[in-house]
Amino acid sequence: MPPHPALRPFVVLVHPCSVDTPTNFQQTVDPDLIARLQRGELAAFELIYRRFERAAWTLALRLTGRPDIAHEVLQDAMLKAFERARQYRGDAPFAAWLRKLVVNEALMQLRHDRLHVIEVFDDTLAVDESPAPWMHADAATLERALNRLPDAARAVLWLYHVEGYTHVEIAGQFGRSVSFSKSQLARATRRMRELLQPQLQMEVTPCTIGSTTAS
Amino acid sequence: MHDRLDHGFMNDESRQYDPDEAALGAALRALPASAPARDAWPEMASRIRRRKVARKAVWFTLPAAFAAAMALTLAWPHLHQRAASPTPPRVAMQTSSPAARPAVPDIGALQASSQQWQAWVQKLDRNGAPLDGRQLTQAVALQDRIGLVDLQLSAARNPSTTAGLWQQRITLLQQLGLLHLQPYLVATQRPANGDHLISM
Repeated sequence: MPPHPALRPFVVLVHPCSVDTPTNFQQTVDPDLIARLQRGELAAFELIYRRFERAAWTLALRLTGRPDIAHEVLQDAMLKAFERARQYRGDAPFAAWLRKLVVNEALMQLRHDRLHVIEVFDDTLAVDESPAPWMHADAATLERALNRLPDAARAVLWLYHVEGYTHVEIAGQFGRSVSFSKSQLARATRRMRELLQPQLQMEVTPCTIGSTTAS
Repeated sequence: MHDRLDHGFMNDESRQYDPDEAALGAALRALPASAPARDAWPEMASRIRRRKVARKAVWFTLPAAFAAAMALTLAWPHLHQRAASPTPPRVAMQTSSPAARPAVPDIGALQASSQQWQAWVQKLDRNGAPLDGRQLTQAVALQDRIGLVDLQLSAARNPSTTAGLWQQRITLLQQLGLLHLQPYLVATQRPANGDHLISM
């Protein structure tokens, strides 16, 4: 049974830590399996690969916005995971280590390809007070809007909101300042609003054009 | 490293709570997971196997390369002089005493050495990394020179001349071997991409 609509705001405002991320890097890996991987056992690596393939792919796709680049990221990050498994010391969960490899690889790919084209954000723009359109957007619409963001803005938005990176960490990953991270996040949020707003308006008021021409 | 799986979002002091932004985060997190269009494991496994083979080749060739480089460094001035001046060494004067007569190099030893170097070069050629265009041109030029030396050897009668030619052949083989090792030397000097990004 779906939750009552009145409960929706509470569902949305649930603490992010309690929400399972769609990239699903929250799986634990058996230490024995990690030990086998560190010994270079291909069978052990296949088990790990299969377990995290979707998670790594989704993260790569969300960060890069392109399936072809996401494929490269997945391959390169997983290859590094296999070859550098001995460097994993168990200080953090294995999944977090793997996720870090994927993030690094994705940002490196973007840096090589397109990330140097970073649009400047105008901080003087007024804050949009209109209701947040993403609260009513379906997954496909949201995904389309996300893919239409500039690369840096999309990556910052995803790292901040979904992967939980801080501005300091994002700045470190990009080799830029904290204000860069903040401005890209603000830009991404504003752009998402712009991209989602017209569609929702059209969905809610499909007769707007007709009424305008009539007047 | 901060691990979001352990610490959570609220540890970020700069993370300001805005209901709209929180809703955006929740909406993004609620996006369904995606899957690659095709199973990428076979490609992954194949890449790993290829790299294992290549690494094995490097581990096989590097000690040999190191030994060869050391030997070449020590012998270089002498060998270089001989390679650069194909004129055979002057034959000792017949009137001198046997003690003063310069020793003719042991041709048998030179031939054995040449065979060893040739086997090493052939092994590198079979198992090593492919040469780029410039290196390939150099390799062909060196092989031509070795062929020329072989031709001269077939006609040589004088032991000193023969010894000089064998020595020249060895030098050329060493140069050819080092040429085959260049891709590995370049690869070991090149920093791995993105290493600086990983701080765990």
